[in-house]
Amino acid sequence: MRYFIRRALHAVFLLFGVSLLTFLFSALTPGNYFDEMRLNPQISPETVAALRAQYQLDRPLPVRYAHWLNAVAHGQLGFSFAYNNPVAPLLWARARNTLLLTITATLLAWLVALPLGVWSAASFGRAPDRVLSRTTATLLVVPDLVLALGLLILAVRTGWFPTGGLVSDGFDELSVSHKLRDIALHMTLPVVSLVLATLPMLVRHVRASVADVLDAPFLRAAAGHGIPQRKLLYRYALRAAANPLISLFGFSVGTLLSGSLLVEVVMSWPGLGPLLLESILARDLYVVIGGVLLSMLFLVGGNLFADILLYLADPRIRTAASAE
Amino acid sequence: MQPLLRVENLVKHYAAGRPASLKDKLTALDGVSLSIPSGETLALVGESGSGKSTLALCIACLEPPTSGSIWFEGIDAAALGENQQCLLRPQIQLVFQDPASSLNPRWTALDIVSEPFLVQGRFTKPDRAVRALQLLDRVAIPRKMAARRADELSGGQKQRLAIARALALEPKLLILDEALSALDCSVQAQISNLLLDLQSSLGLTYLFITHDFAMAAHMADQIAVMYQGRIVESGPSEKILSSPNHEATRSLMAATPRFIETPGVLVHF
Amino acid sequence: MTQRRKFTRWLIVMVALHGIIAAAGFFAPYDPVEQDRERPYFPPVHIHMMDTQGHFHLRPVFYPLRLRAGSFDQHEEDTATTVPLKFFQRGAAYRLLGFVPSHLHLFGATGARVYLLGSDAYGRDQLSRILYGGQVSLLAGLLGATVTLFLGALIGMAAGYFGGWRDELLMRIAELFLALPWLYLLFALRAFLPLAVSPLEAFLLVVIVIGMVGWARPARLVRGVVLSVKERDFVRAARGFGASDVYLLRRHILPETASVLLTQAAILVPQFVLAEMTLSFLGLGVPEPMSSWGNLLAALQQYNVLVSYWWMYLPALAIVPFFLGYLSLASALQQRTRPYKIEEKSSWSPS
Repeated sequence: MRYFIRRALHAVFLLFGVSLLTFLFSALTPGNYFDEMRLNPQISPETVAALRAQYQLDRPLPVRYAHWLNAVAHGQLGFSFAYNNPVAPLLWARARNTLLLTITATLLAWLVALPLGVWSAASFGRAPDRVLSRTTATLLVVPDLVLALGLLILAVRTGWFPTGGLVSDGFDELSVSHKLRDIALHMTLPVVSLVLATLPMLVRHVRASVADVLDAPFLRAAAGHGIPQRKLLYRYALRAAANPLISLFGFSVGTLLSGSLLVEVVMSWPGLGPLLLESILARDLYVVIGGVLLSMLFLVGGNLFADILLYLADPRIRTAASAE
Repeated sequence: MQPLLRVENLVKHYAAGRPASLKDKLTALDGVSLSIPSGETLALVGESGSGKSTLALCIACLEPPTSGSIWFEGIDAAALGENQQCLLRPQIQLVFQDPASSLNPRWTALDIVSEPFLVQGRFTKPDRAVRALQLLDRVAIPRKMAARRADELSGGQKQRLAIARALALEPKLLILDEALSALDCSVQAQISNLLLDLQSSLGLTYLFITHDFAMAAHMADQIAVMYQGRIVESGPSEKILSSPNHEATRSLMAATPRFIETPGVLVHF
Repeated sequence: MTQRRKFTRWLIVMVALHGIIAAAGFFAPYDPVEQDRERPYFPPVHIHMMDTQGHFHLRPVFYPLRLRAGSFDQHEEDTATTVPLKFFQRGAAYRLLGFVPSHLHLFGATGARVYLLGSDAYGRDQLSRILYGGQVSLLAGLLGATVTLFLGALIGMAAGYFGGWRDELLMRIAELFLALPWLYLLFALRAFLPLAVSPLEAFLLVVIVIGMVGWARPARLVRGVVLSVKERDFVRAARGFGASDVYLLRRHILPETASVLLTQAAILVPQFVLAEMTLSFLGLGVPEPMSSWGNLLAALQQYNVLVSYWWMYLPALAIVPFFLGYLSLASALQQRTRPYKIEEKSSWSPS
C-alpha cells in the first residue's frame, strides 16, 4: 500500500511540475493572443486593455498561477480566447474523438501483436520468424509522417475511403447503422496508420519477452507432460513473459491522448491534436495548458495503471512491495 | 625515533542507504590503532569484511575518517584541510588488489606510469617518458612493453606496472592492499621478492594487507590481525606465528595451508 | 556476417548517402530556387533507351512534356523533339559544400527541362529541391543531435560525478522531460518562440528546440556510465596522485562515455531529422524559399495536390534510406557492446 501512495505522490508531483513548467513557459515567452489584436488598427487599445484585464493577463505571474490552480480544483480549466468558450467542454469534445481513434487502434494493435509475437518467438530463427522480422524491420524504418501521408494519397487516388473529418455531410439524416458505417469508414485510415506505426515495436517486444521465457525448464517440463503447443504458448509462456508486456501496455494506455497528434493533423481528424496545434499557434494559453495537462494525466495515469496491473499479476512484486 | 605512521583510534562509519536513519550506519572501523617504524613492513591480516581496505583508503587520505587521527611523520593527516592533504598524498601511495580495475585498460603502460607526473604537473613531456621508462626498468618490465595497452599485459606484469606507478612520486609509505592475492603462486613469489628488493634499495615502508598468513610471514616484520573493524592482536611476526592468542588469528592461520615438501611427508604450515 | 563487417558496411553506405546530399549541387540538374512558371506541376519525364522510331540510343533520351490541348492537368510527350540526356554537363553555377565554385552537374539536358521527379507549383525541379532540402534536414538532425548529446553528457556527468542533491534534482528534472510527449514539447517550444523570422534564424531555432527536447535519455545513460566508472580503482589511484575533478572527468570518465554517446547519436539523428520534417510540414520549421524535406511535403496539405500530383509525395521517401542506415548502424553499435542480448529494447520509439 505504501508503494502505491509513493507512486501516486510521484504522479502528482509530475503533474504539478508539468503544469508549472507549461504555465511558466507560455507566460514568459514573447507573444500572446492579444498581440495580433493590438496590431489591428480597427480595435482600439482600450478594448484590448479591457479584454486583457478580463482575462487577467496583466496580473503578475504567481497570482495568475494561483488563480488557475484554484480554478482547476473546482473543475474549471480556464477560458479559450479563440473559441470564446470555457476550455473544459472544448477539450472533452475533442478528447472523445481522439480516444475513439486511439482506443480502437491500441486494442487492434495489441490483438494483432500478441499472436504474431508469440508465433515469431515459437518459430525463432525459422522462416515465419524471419519473414515477420523483415516486415517489422521494414515498417520500423518508415516514419509515421511518411506512412500517414502515403495512406492518405492511397485513399485519395482510390476513392475507397473518405479523407478527413469524423463524419460526412448529411450525417444527421442517415440511419443508425449507416451512421456507424460512416464513422467507421472515416476512422479506417487513421486507425490503420496508428496501428502500422505501433505494431512493429510491439511485435518485437512480445517476441523478445516470449523468446526469453521459452528456454525455461518449467516449460520443457510442461511440454513433457503432454500439454498441447497452443496452450503451452499462451497459458504458460505468455504468462511468464507478461511483466515487461504489462508495463508496455500501461505505456500504451498512457499515450492514448498524446500519441495520435500527427496522424490527426495529417488526416484532419477532429481530435485533441489539431486543437492543440491551433491553440499553440494562436497563443491560446489556457487551451494549451489544459490540453497538455489532460495528456499528462493520461500518461501518468497509464504508468500508475501499469504498476497496479503488475502488482496484481505478479506475486513477486506483491511480496517485495509488502516487505518494504 | 618516532614511527613513520601512527594510527590512533580510527573510526569510520558509512551511512547505508538513506542518510536520515542513524541506525542504518555501517561501522567499518571501530577504533583502530597501529604504528609502523620507518623502513619496516607491517602485515595487516584479516578476513574479507574486516575493514582492511577501508583502513587503507583512510590512511592514503582517499576517504575521510569519522574520527581518530593518522600521524604521518608527526603530522595529523586526518586533521588537514583538503589542499594540504593533496600535498601529503604523494607520499603515501596505494597499490590495489585487482590490476584490471586499478589500471585504465585503454591506456598504454608508459602513459599509466607517467600519469602521476602528468597530474602533478612535473617535468616536460620527454622528461616524463624518460623517468617512466626508468620506473619500468626498476620493476623489470621490458621496455618494448611500454607502448602496449594495459589490457594486453599479463596479470603479473600489470601488478608490476601498478607498483611502478605507485613509486613514481617517490613515496615514503606504500600500502599494498591484497596486491598479490589475485596472482598465480609463482608470480606471487616473483613480485614479493621484487617488493623486498625495492624496500631495501629505496628505504620504503610497507603496510602489507593480506588474508594469507604465509605471505605475511614472508614479507613482514610485524603482524597485526584485524577482526570486525578492530585490531585484535599485534606484535612481531615470529611471536604471532608461533603463539597466536586470539581465536580470529587462529582461524585465519588454519585457513591458509602451505605444503612443505619433505620426501613422503606433507606438513601443514 | 560479423558485427564489425556489418558496421563497416553500413558506415560506408551512410557516408555515400551523406556524400550525395552534401554534393547536392553536383547531383542536382538545376538550382532549387529556379522557377519556371510555364511548367507548374509537371509530372516526371520518362527516360527511354529506345525512341518512338525504334532507334536504340546509347545515351538515354526523353521527350519534353507539354500540356495536352484543351486540358490543364493532363500531360503528354512531345515526340517531335528528342532530347538526349547529357552527363557531366556544364550548368548553373553553384558552390560545392558551400565554398568550392563549380559548374559541373552529373547530368542535364539542353533545350528542355528534365524533371526526373516532376516539378512543383512554381515549376521548380523536385529532384534538385529534394537534394538541397536534404542538406537542410540532415544538417538540422545532425546539429540537433550534437546539441542534445552535449547537453545530456554535461548534465549526466555532473549528476553522476557529484551525486547528492544535485544528482536528485537533475534526475527529477530529467524525469519530467522524459514524461512529456516529445511532439507536444517540440511544438510548444517552437511555437512559443517568434514565428516570423528569416530562414537562417528559423533553422537555428529549429536546431535549438530539437536539441533541447531530447537531452534526458542520454543524460541518464551517461550518468549510469559515470556512476560505474567513478568507483573504479584507477580513478581512485589518480585521486591519490592529487588529480582534480576536472582532470578525472576529462581523461578517465569522458572516454568511457564515448560508446554510449555514439550509439545514442545513431538513434537520435534520424529522430531529429524527422522532427525537423514534422515541424516544417506544419509550418513551424524552415520557411520558403529554403527547401527542406518537411516543407516540400507541406504542399500535400492541399487537396488538389493530393489528388492529382502524386510525385509531390516523393520527398517523404527520401528519408527512408537514411532511417534504415542509421538504425542499422545503431543496432550494429549496440551489439558491439552487448553481443549476447537477444533483442535490444532500444530507446527508439519517440517519447
